[in-house]
Amino acid sequence: MGEVIVVTSGKGGVGKTTTSANLGAGLASAGSRVCLIDADIGLRNLDVVMGLENRIVYDLVDVTSGNCSFKKALIKDKRFEKLFLLPAAQTKDKTAVSPAQMEALCDEIRDDFDYVLIDCPAGIEQGFRNAIAGADHAVVVTTPEVSAVRDADRIIGLLEKEDLREPKLIVNRMRHQMVKHGDMMSIDDIIEILAIDLLGVVPEDEMVVISTNRGEMVVLNNNSKSGQAYRNIVRRIKGEDVPMMDLEDSGLLGKIRRIIGLK
Amino acid sequence: MAADWAGENLLRFPGRGGGEPEDMSDDNTIMVRRTLRSGQSLHFEGNVVILGDVNPGAEVVATGDIVVMGSLRGVVHAGAGGDSNAAVYAFRLQPTQLRIANRITRAPDGEQSFSATPEVARIRDGMVVIESFQTGPERQG
Repeated sequence: MGEVIVVTSGKGGVGKTTTSANLGAGLASAGSRVCLIDADIGLRNLDVVMGLENRIVYDLVDVTSGNCSFKKALIKDKRFEKLFLLPAAQTKDKTAVSPAQMEALCDEIRDDFDYVLIDCPAGIEQGFRNAIAGADHAVVVTTPEVSAVRDADRIIGLLEKEDLREPKLIVNRMRHQMVKHGDMMSIDDIIEILAIDLLGVVPEDEMVVISTNRGEMVVLNNNSKSGQAYRNIVRRIKGEDVPMMDLEDSGLLGKIRRIIGLK
Repeated sequence: MAADWAGENLLRFPGRGGGEPEDMSDDNTIMVRRTLRSGQSLHFEGNVVILGDVNPGAEVVATGDIVVMGSLRGVVHAGAGGDSNAAVYAFRLQPTQLRIANRITRAPDGEQSFSATPEVARIRDGMVVIESFQTGPERQG
C-alpha cells in the first residue's frame, strides 16, 4: 500500500513539476517503486521535464474515462528500474476529470507502488481539486517571494479544509546571498507566515534549466547543489533525519571573503 | 487574596450582578483558536478574539472589537455596524488595511519598522490612531 503525495503550490512557476520529477527520480534511485501522475491536464509538462514526451500513447483522461487500464498508460522511465509516469492529456482541459475519478484512480494505483506523486497544476480551481482528491499527504512548494508565499498560505488553508493536514514545505530557488543582504525573504520569514514543517530548501541553480531542457533530472547530478538538496529531501521523505544544507558560498571566492573578513 | 466560593468575599465586577450593571456594548464574543490563512474570512456580530495570526489575505469583520493575540497582517474591520468606539488590538499590529466604523487606514508608504509591542487602534478626534497598549492605572479608557 503506497503513499499518495500531492505536490502543490497555488502559485505557478515555483517548481512543482521540477520537484515532482526530481523527488520521483530520487526515490526510485533509492529503491522505491514510484508512480508520477501529471494532473495538469491541458498544460502538461512533467513528460517534457522527464524527457518522455515522445513515448506517450495513452494518458490520464484515457484511463479515467475507461479507454484503457492505467497499466497500459504508464510509461516506464528506462533510466530507472522503478519509475513510471502517467502523463496528462494535452488536448483536453481540467473539466475532463472529476475529483471522484482521481480518488478512485489513486486507490487503484497505490497498491502497486511505494510512492505515488501527483504533480498538481497551479490555481485553486478544478485542477487543484482533482489533484488533491486522492492524496494522503501534501507537499507545498514556494519560492522566497511575497506573492508565492501569499498563494502558498491560501493553498495550505484549502488543504486543511480538505483534511490534508500538516503539509510539508519546500522552499525552492533560494538565493542565500540575497537573504544575507536583506533582499530576499529568509526561511524564518516564510515559516512565520506559513507555519508548517520544513521538508527542505533548494537553492537557485542554473543546472535545473540545463537539465530540464535535456529532459534530465538534476537529482542525479552529483555536482549540483540543487541536486544535493533534492537528494536530502528524498532521504527525509523516507524517514531519515538529514541536517539542512549549508548554503554559504563554499567556492573559492567565498573562502577568500571569509578569510579577509568580508561577510 | 483567597476567593471564597461561598459567595461572601467574591471579587465583584460591574455588570456581573455585583454592582450597577454598566451599559456595555454587545457582549457577544467569539474565540477563534487558530490562525486565519490567506483567503479565509470571518464575519461576526459582536467581538472577536483570535488566538493566532491573521495572515495577509485574510479578513476579519466584526461589529464590535477585534483582538488578535498574534500578528495581525490581514484586513480587519471593527465597528463594522458603525460603532466608532470599537477598537482593534494586536500583539503585532501590521495590517494591510485597518478599518473602524467608516474609517479606512493603512500603514504609511515606504519602509518602516513595526513596533514589537502590543498596540491598539481606535478612533480619536475622527482619525484612526495607533497607541501602545498598556494595562494598569495608566490604561487608556
